[in-house]
Amino acid sequence: MRVIARTQQDLFAEALRGLMDLVKGEGVQNDEVRAQVQVTAPDATALLIDFLNEVLTRCHIRREVYGRVVFPSMSAVALEAELEGHPVASLGEDVKAVTYHEADVREDNGVWSTMLVFDV
Amino acid sequence: MDKRNLVKIHNWLWEIPRTYRADMKVPARVYASEKMLDSILGDRSLEQLVNVATLPGVRKYAIAMPDVHEGYGFPIGGVAAVDEQEGVISPGGIGYDINCGVRLLRSRKSLDEVKSVLPKLAHSIAREVPSGVGRGGKALFKGADLDRVLSDGARRIVELGDGVAADLDAIESGGRIEPADPKLVSVHAKERGQDQLGTIGSGNHFVEVDVVDKILDEAEASRFGIASGQIVVLIHTGSRGLGHQVATDFIREMTAAMPRYKISVPDRELACAPISSTEGQHYLQAMAAAANFAFANRQLITAGIRRAWRWEFGEDEPLDIIYDVAHNVAKTEEHQLDGTKTKLIVHRKGATRAFPGQPVLIPGSMGTASYLLVGAEAAMRETFGSTCHGAGRVMSRMRAKREINGEELRERLANMGIIAEAASTKGLVEEAPEAYKDIDAVVDIVQHAGIAKKVARLRPVAVVKG
Repeated sequence: MRVIARTQQDLFAEALRGLMDLVKGEGVQNDEVRAQVQVTAPDATALLIDFLNEVLTRCHIRREVYGRVVFPSMSAVALEAELEGHPVASLGEDVKAVTYHEADVREDNGVWSTMLVFDV
Repeated sequence: MDKRNLVKIHNWLWEIPRTYRADMKVPARVYASEKMLDSILGDRSLEQLVNVATLPGVRKYAIAMPDVHEGYGFPIGGVAAVDEQEGVISPGGIGYDINCGVRLLRSRKSLDEVKSVLPKLAHSIAREVPSGVGRGGKALFKGADLDRVLSDGARRIVELGDGVAADLDAIESGGRIEPADPKLVSVHAKERGQDQLGTIGSGNHFVEVDVVDKILDEAEASRFGIASGQIVVLIHTGSRGLGHQVATDFIREMTAAMPRYKISVPDRELACAPISSTEGQHYLQAMAAAANFAFANRQLITAGIRRAWRWEFGEDEPLDIIYDVAHNVAKTEEHQLDGTKTKLIVHRKGATRAFPGQPVLIPGSMGTASYLLVGAEAAMRETFGSTCHGAGRVMSRMRAKREINGEELRERLANMGIIAEAASTKGLVEEAPEAYKDIDAVVDIVQHAGIAKKVARLRPVAVVKG
């Protein structure tokens, strides 16, 4: 999946949206769920991959998908995220992990981008 | 990279010399026919193999099998042995699905005897052995119960009554790899795995009822208790979400730790740590625990298949294990290096241990053959006792979904006399025969090269998958 955005925060939010589109299965319930995630990493690429894996793990364990995210804080090596979503009866695509393969978060002339490869 | 960068050693073996790239510590070798090599050069798997040849402590050669294809960091179908003292351990060299592996069960029935009940049998197996995305098993293992499984693997499942002591004799390492420590498996990993024991999962994992199509070595076939026309059952699955989470956790941990050890790697997925370091030791202990989870998983799946079998054929019809072998794991082994016995950590990612005399199980895709091989002496000299693990993908899952029609595939399988009991058409299409290399060609190469010997060809008659 190729992700492009105007800011680092938007890039992370769009990447999450893409991941959730894949894992969203059937039977999305009306109940709202919230979660907070904190991640630190050596650089922005690792930060994105570790963040997505953290959320993916929650999806698998809690059978939830998250449609909204707000980042109260984000730097190149740390973030706090507040997630909102819904329980689901079942997950869709079996994304087992978000890999570092070809991932490279970069900013060129105000455009943030990366490639993401999922282990399915 | 193209063919000019490779030196032909013989008709089935090619070498990428150390001079190909300045950072290579050893040459890289690939087992392939010239035709297969052309196909292998179509992706980046050999560039990935060269990256493996740069790892600290790597010995002799980085090796690719004929079923090699591009993976994350390490190619799938790769073998790398590193010195226990000076080397590194890399979770990417084992893969996300720790101890993905294969188990083969032997029945006393012939195809003629089971033909009429095959649809019912496949349905019974599907009911007893859950498959598909997020499908949990019938048993929940939490807390101390799960820790016992992580410590003792298939042995714990046999202790709980699902199997017999003789089962353990027919499993690699007796169904339990050391030095497993459940404390080093994260809470997240345990939560992902607690309801997954006894389940196949999705992707290329399956339970397959096969008929022995052709005996290729009478003496070895007799030793393994199989004959032409006999029905056998093949199980292909691994450590499910628990193993994936262990890999994710430690790739992250090692990525952070590498600067401390002044290690840099050409690909982030090769993240590694010295074997002697805390991170290296912790990974080995967590990986062993995940491998034990996978052995336990295949043992519980076996129990489910045996129940289905008994319903159809009665209490006195056994399904004995011929063998169970991992193809995604790292193990401490002693091998000869320059005439000296040396302790090495052998990473096998999409490669099967193939010690002389040991059964080697090579699963194919639906609609093509699978093989029972036996390990051979040359494997000890050349490949750290390893051989291929399957057919190897040539088409991504996304491409398969775009190009293959599910209904047409079901019809084609039916015309070939194969019953497909699949949780989803999507899962079926992703694993269509045309998405894989020609398995007959793959095993021909390892036989010609002398790193394994063909014993029997197996043909699927019923497939149960996610």
